[in-house]
Amino acid sequence: MNPQEEKVKIITEEFVENDEDADVGRQKTSRVQRRKRKKQLPTAGPDEMVSEKSHLGDQQEPGHEDPNADARPLSMPTRRGPRSLPPIPSASRTGFAEFSMRERMREKLQAARSKAESALLQEIPTPRPRRLRSPSEKELETEFGTEPGGKIQTTQQEDDSQSYSRVKFRDSVRKIKSKTPDEEELLDDKDAVDFLLGLDRGAEDIVAVRPADYESVHIRLQKEKELLFIPSRRTVPTYKKLPENVQPRFLEDEGLYIGARLEVPRTNQNIMENRLLMQEPGRRWFGDDGRILALPNPIKPFPSRPLVLSQEQDIKAELETLYKKAVKYVHRSQHMIGSGDPPGNFQLDIDISGLIFTHHPCFSREHVLAAKLAQLYDQYLARRQRNKAKFLTDKLQALRNAVQMSLNPAKTPKSLDTTRRAINEYKSEIRQTRKLRDIEQEKDRTLLKTIIKVWKEMKSLREFQRFTNTPLKLVLRKEKVDQKADEEAYEAEVQAEISELLEEHREEYEQRMDEYRSAHQQWKAWKKAQRTKKKKKKQGVEEHPDDEMEEPYPGEDPVKPVPPEPTNQAVIEQEVRERAAQSRRRPGEPMLVPELSLAGSVTPNDQCPRVEVLRREDVKRRSVYLKVLFNDKEVSRTNSRPLGADFRVHFGQIFNLQIVNWPESLTLQVYETVGHSGTTLLAEVFLPIPETTVVTGRAPLEEVEFSSNQHVTLDHEGVGSGVPFSFEADGSNQLTLMTSGKVSNSVSWAIGENGIPLIPPLSQQNIGFRSALKRADAISSIGTSGLTDMKKLAKWAAESKLDPNDPNNAPLMQLILVATSGESYVPDFFRLEQLQQEFNFVSDEELNRSKRFRLLRLRSQEVPEFRNYKQIPVYDREIMEKVFQDYEKRLRDRNVIETKDHIDTHRAIVAKYLQQVRESVINRFLIAKHHFLLADLIVEEEVPNISILGLRLFKLAEQKRPLRPRRKGRKKVTAQNLSDGDIKLLVNIIRAYDIPVRKPITSKFQQPPRSSRTFSEKQAASPTTHSPTHSADYPLSQVLVRPFVEVSFQRTICHTTTADGPNPSWNEELELPFRAPNGNYSTTSLQSVKDDVFINIFDEVLYDVLEDDRERASGIHTRIERHWLGCVKIPFSTIYFQAKIDGTFKIDTPPVLLGYSKEQSVVAERGFDPVRSLSEGSYITLFITMEPQLVPGESVREKFDSQEDEKLLQATEKFQAECALKFPNRQCLTTVIDISGKTVFITRYLKPLNPPQELLNAYPNNPQATAELVARYVSLIPFLPDTVSFAGICDLWSTSDQFLDLLAGDEEEHAVLLCNYFLSLGKKAWLMMGNAIPEGPTAYVLTREQSHYLIWNPCSGHFYGQFDTFCPLKSVGCLIGPDNIWFNIQRHDSPLRINFDITKPKLWKSFFSRSLPYPGLSSVQPEELIYQRTDKAAAAELQDRIEKILKEKIMDWRPRHLTRWNRYCTSTLRHFLPLLERSQGEDVEDDHRAELLKQLGDYRFSGFPLHMPYSELKPLIEAVYSTGVHNIDVPNVEFALAVYIHPYPKNVLSVWIYVASLIRNR
Amino acid sequence: MAEVHVIGQILGATGFSESSLFCKWGIHTGAAWKLLSGVREGQTQVDTPQVGDMAYWSHPIDLHFATKGLQGWPRLHLQVWSQDSFGRCQLAGYGFCHVPSSPGTHQLDCPTWRPLGSWREQLARAFVGGGPQLLHGDAIYSGADRYRLHTAAGGTVHLELGLLLRHFDRYGVEC
Repeated sequence: MNPQEEKVKIITEEFVENDEDADVGRQKTSRVQRRKRKKQLPTAGPDEMVSEKSHLGDQQEPGHEDPNADARPLSMPTRRGPRSLPPIPSASRTGFAEFSMRERMREKLQAARSKAESALLQEIPTPRPRRLRSPSEKELETEFGTEPGGKIQTTQQEDDSQSYSRVKFRDSVRKIKSKTPDEEELLDDKDAVDFLLGLDRGAEDIVAVRPADYESVHIRLQKEKELLFIPSRRTVPTYKKLPENVQPRFLEDEGLYIGARLEVPRTNQNIMENRLLMQEPGRRWFGDDGRILALPNPIKPFPSRPLVLSQEQDIKAELETLYKKAVKYVHRSQHMIGSGDPPGNFQLDIDISGLIFTHHPCFSREHVLAAKLAQLYDQYLARRQRNKAKFLTDKLQALRNAVQMSLNPAKTPKSLDTTRRAINEYKSEIRQTRKLRDIEQEKDRTLLKTIIKVWKEMKSLREFQRFTNTPLKLVLRKEKVDQKADEEAYEAEVQAEISELLEEHREEYEQRMDEYRSAHQQWKAWKKAQRTKKKKKKQGVEEHPDDEMEEPYPGEDPVKPVPPEPTNQAVIEQEVRERAAQSRRRPGEPMLVPELSLAGSVTPNDQCPRVEVLRREDVKRRSVYLKVLFNDKEVSRTNSRPLGADFRVHFGQIFNLQIVNWPESLTLQVYETVGHSGTTLLAEVFLPIPETTVVTGRAPLEEVEFSSNQHVTLDHEGVGSGVPFSFEADGSNQLTLMTSGKVSNSVSWAIGENGIPLIPPLSQQNIGFRSALKRADAISSIGTSGLTDMKKLAKWAAESKLDPNDPNNAPLMQLILVATSGESYVPDFFRLEQLQQEFNFVSDEELNRSKRFRLLRLRSQEVPEFRNYKQIPVYDREIMEKVFQDYEKRLRDRNVIETKDHIDTHRAIVAKYLQQVRESVINRFLIAKHHFLLADLIVEEEVPNISILGLRLFKLAEQKRPLRPRRKGRKKVTAQNLSDGDIKLLVNIIRAYDIPVRKPITSKFQQPPRSSRTFSEKQAASPTTHSPTHSADYPLSQVLVRPFVEVSFQRTICHTTTADGPNPSWNEELELPFRAPNGNYSTTSLQSVKDDVFINIFDEVLYDVLEDDRERASGIHTRIERHWLGCVKIPFSTIYFQAKIDGTFKIDTPPVLLGYSKEQSVVAERGFDPVRSLSEGSYITLFITMEPQLVPGESVREKFDSQEDEKLLQATEKFQAECALKFPNRQCLTTVIDISGKTVFITRYLKPLNPPQELLNAYPNNPQATAELVARYVSLIPFLPDTVSFAGICDLWSTSDQFLDLLAGDEEEHAVLLCNYFLSLGKKAWLMMGNAIPEGPTAYVLTREQSHYLIWNPCSGHFYGQFDTFCPLKSVGCLIGPDNIWFNIQRHDSPLRINFDITKPKLWKSFFSRSLPYPGLSSVQPEELIYQRTDKAAAAELQDRIEKILKEKIMDWRPRHLTRWNRYCTSTLRHFLPLLERSQGEDVEDDHRAELLKQLGDYRFSGFPLHMPYSELKPLIEAVYSTGVHNIDVPNVEFALAVYIHPYPKNVLSVWIYVASLIRNR
Repeated sequence: MAEVHVIGQILGATGFSESSLFCKWGIHTGAAWKLLSGVREGQTQVDTPQVGDMAYWSHPIDLHFATKGLQGWPRLHLQVWSQDSFGRCQLAGYGFCHVPSSPGTHQLDCPTWRPLGSWREQLARAFVGGGPQLLHGDAIYSGADRYRLHTAAGGTVHLELGLLLRHFDRYGVEC
């Protein structure tokens, strides 16, 4: 129901209410009326309704209560005046209410009526109620009558909706009918009566009867004649349409392009023309040819939209759809758009039909000529087909005609100016065309001549050698020509040319003449001026004689122009004739048509000379085959076919290449086999990859030429290749030919079973991570891929009879012309977005110059320098140029080795190399990093199963024990939302053992006997070597030591309170803030944090500085000094990966600690601390963690490609799965990733490798010492965790030689190298994977001595007995030997509690067993390690430089104090350091002390040597800083610093730094 | 040197007959456009609406372009896929719309279509899943003669894109 309808309904209802009581009689009437109408109703068409309307119009009260849908609405407007509402039936609900009302009315009606009134009503056809009688009302009615059918239509529509009510109504009517049939009749007569009853009765007084107006036909025609003009249908004579005395001009005849006119019937045209002539006498509607101006017919002769029905045959390639089965989504595949297509199998068909050699080493001279002849003939045929000369001649003719036409003044109504211009253009074109034609003709002629010449040569050669090798035969067919006609044409042509040339010359002459005249005039004027000047000068000279000298020449003198010579006709004629004779066929000369055939016979072998026979035999021995290379991989090859005598090879093989990716290259390699000897690669032929529209069956055979540059000299008649030879007997006129030929082939896409071409989608053309959409073929997407084939285009153009003059086709014709002639420049690009250039805001350069954009892009590309750059300025001017400096420098210096930071060149190279390896690895894993698993994105709580639920329930019932603390898991934080200050490092320092104690300075020195220890002693933890003889030295009253701990991390320093005694207990928690580099808290960034946590133990020493003893009573004046005792260094990465570090660590104490000793008052403590008494060093118990806990990043789960056997890999997976099932916490390693990212079986890394000979020579008779030395050597190689260098990627294992080259590596590299050395020393050694403190999962080396096992820490060089409680290795996961892997399946994993006997299968599960025997895997390690001796001089130099730098640094760290250097002490220390190196930092303390005492007796000395492997400068500086030696601010302090570098082979450097502070004792 | 930020999300889709839907999307620009940061293409998760018809993805789009011309204004092309109960994916619709060119937030409705295929293919689609797909995805947004393609209407993808334009006025582009 539309709103309009609604409104009407409301209105009608109103009426019902009003009228109900108002006029009862009227209602009655209307009811009767309705009855009447009802009879007509069923065919209530629009016409009827209109007619009915007038009838209904009588009624005063139209059917607002009339439920009859069809008729009532029409009456409504009459009553209500002009309303635009559509006539609408009333709703059904009124029907019943009205019905009962009508019953009452009927009774009333019966009471009052008269017959006369009714008669009157029937008589008058349009009786109107008084109200309606006004003329306006009448008009209104007619208006309504003419209302468009739309209204009626709406009525009808609504009809339907109302039909229900109507039916109901009819029923009720029927009821009434059955009741009172008579009454109906009665009412009929009386409805007028009651009509008038309701109104007044004086109608007849106002109404008058008039006849209808009528105009006779004649009069009407008369009038029409006056008004109308009917144009005649007769043809209009042309003169009427054109201006006076103008001949019609037909542009088409003049060669101008006029499109086809639209077909219009002749009569229509005539009518139009007549009308136009009458209407607008101006004739502007008519063209020059007297026809109505018309545009070309816009209707294309064929529909450009083919019927859709034909969809099956030619859907465009890019709109093709392919039915794809619903596919299981592969998660691992790229998630990018466009690559949803699964890699299907696509097929490329390569049809290799044959091979023709255009030159081959075995060609005889005759063959060479034959090849040449064939080539020329081909050329000839091609030229003849194109027949350019003819075309140009025709064109010339046409142009000449045009000029003739336009020269005729009668025919050119256009202005003279345009005509002249046109003629000039024509002429210049004629000139050009003529030139071109002459060239073409000459070419044709010379070609013909060459053919004949070659043929002659060949013939003479055949005669000379008296045999024939080739069946080639040239026949020259002469075509007779009509001499006379020919001559005439020739002459006419010559004449035309001459006349044109003459004209040209004349024009030129005239032009020159003009020039001459003007020049002449100028010259004259100049001359005149000169003369007058001279005259003046003459006068002037008399006055100023020196004026002449100053007279400047105004330029050079104009030369007197020479009049041009008029042209000489005879000369021109001569020229033309000469040229014609040269380039054209002489008149009457027969046309020569060469025909090449293979009809000749080849001389049989027995009639040939020996050399020729040899040649033929050689040819027979040769065979050729082709290899098909797809993406540089050989995919198949043809059969080997013998070379025919005609040097053609027929293959006729089709290769179907099943491919997955878009091909990158397609190559054929031509191989030749001679006899049974090897094959040689003749040449490579690169085949174009076919267009996507080229499918099998449609692809034509194409010939691809190839040539080779090999040099072949043969000892027979064959001319060889790349060798000069000659046809002449005297060897002159040499010729060098290379082997060349043509392969005829066709490459096309195969068609699948269902007719779909098996072409990889274009999106696959790109490999890698780039957008699939970016590189879609732009040209093929607009459907014009065919454009690349010009020949086809030209063919099509010729077939479709394109009008070459049609401006629409001009670019196309131009393109074809250019492409087919092949002489002009063909642009080899296609410009997309041609208008781009014009509409650009800025140029590309400017866009690239924008610093802001550059910065944004670099940041988004995650270039290291900009990876975490925040807040890029909005304006370019705010970005400093220096932001890019580092980056640009890095780009520039990629290959330049920077020695500034590294001092030592070798390390610089290594650092560079490491950087490169790192970059390449990072790039490789970039893709892998973007793969997410569901678990990476969604943390899903496990749905509790019944057992857990049960436990929970059980717990509810448990007793509450508030005093029993329960461990709560800390919440882990992912790194995204962190910022500076959120993360803290918590270091809990609990206690320390065995801190060195002070020695009174005055104590006498005693040399303890140096014990020569053995391993057994050591591993059994021999009791302290120093007997407690000195206990007496210590005054019991004095504090032994007052240690405190200082933790420094990222230059933040915290320290504990000071405790007393050598075994202090602090139990303090220190909180250090953590800042990630660049504020980037992403996992990768955190992993690459290289900072270390330094835990330094100091002794706080109080010195009484009170000068005056008398003041002692009143005040204390002491100075606090701190003496460094040792440190523990824990890399942050360890903390990050371990989440917490808890344990007792050995303090790294300097080998010499002046003023301190490990001697202790055994008296007091020894008894009840058995653990400590076993140890040698000092120990500290620590607990370190981070708050909040960070989630360490996981390594990449990428499967790496491997060269291992598939079976082996499966076995490793199985083995690992089994192990993980039993002991999930134990480390089990079977395969590792090598530095190139390949999976390698781990045992391949173990192989005996020779340690440096130098080390072996050191202790030739002491294997233990040698072993220790080797371990020390290994430990001197700097440690660099993989997680730092390959942040967030994975653990890479490098082989030992790579490790030694890099001079940096992880635990496993150290362990592997050490293990290999031990193996080569003849020890039984294994790689031991396990957990240690503080490293976490790590690799140690286990060796078996005679009766016991030793555990070696490869990074520190220390070794421990199996039962050493202080061994940092806490658990053992597996052992790896050179030929097997053993997994620990014992109950315990602590080295103290396990049995290392790997032969017991109950304790150790071995990888290779009887079921899977060891296959004998080759090692990835080199055969032998080669050690270069390190350059001693370089080491010394480095030593000096380090010393200098460190001294500068110390001075820098003491900005407020003067730093004095004690040279004497420094030199003493320098002498001492080599001693330390020799003794590996053991047992020298006392010698040293004695010496120092001797030399620096009056100084209070505190200092110590530091020992480190050398990697770069920064750690050294850091270590010196951490000792805090520079912190002493006693005014008269002096410093000493000595550096010693001991070079080991292969550039392994051991660095000793001795720092000391001296205070002079007063 | 003008810059355009496109920040918004793919809200979801309505009107698809399939239930578990996901969407692959990509932004295609002309040669004059340079992506400064952000990813050009991606894929949403699979959403199975529990209540109502609308599949919500709320997939963020955040791109920053620099341009030297107006040609090739970024356009967004979408592929809606549905996953059936076996975890197999099939195409539910291709869609395409231009990124609005006036700054501010825009609610976009992108109607989608999919190729209908022959009656055999329709039958197969109805029973065993799968369906015809465009061999060349670029037909989604290129103006090739598409009248040959018989398509069926898919649902509508709803997007909410916010546009930030910069420096367009400098080159006489009013926005």
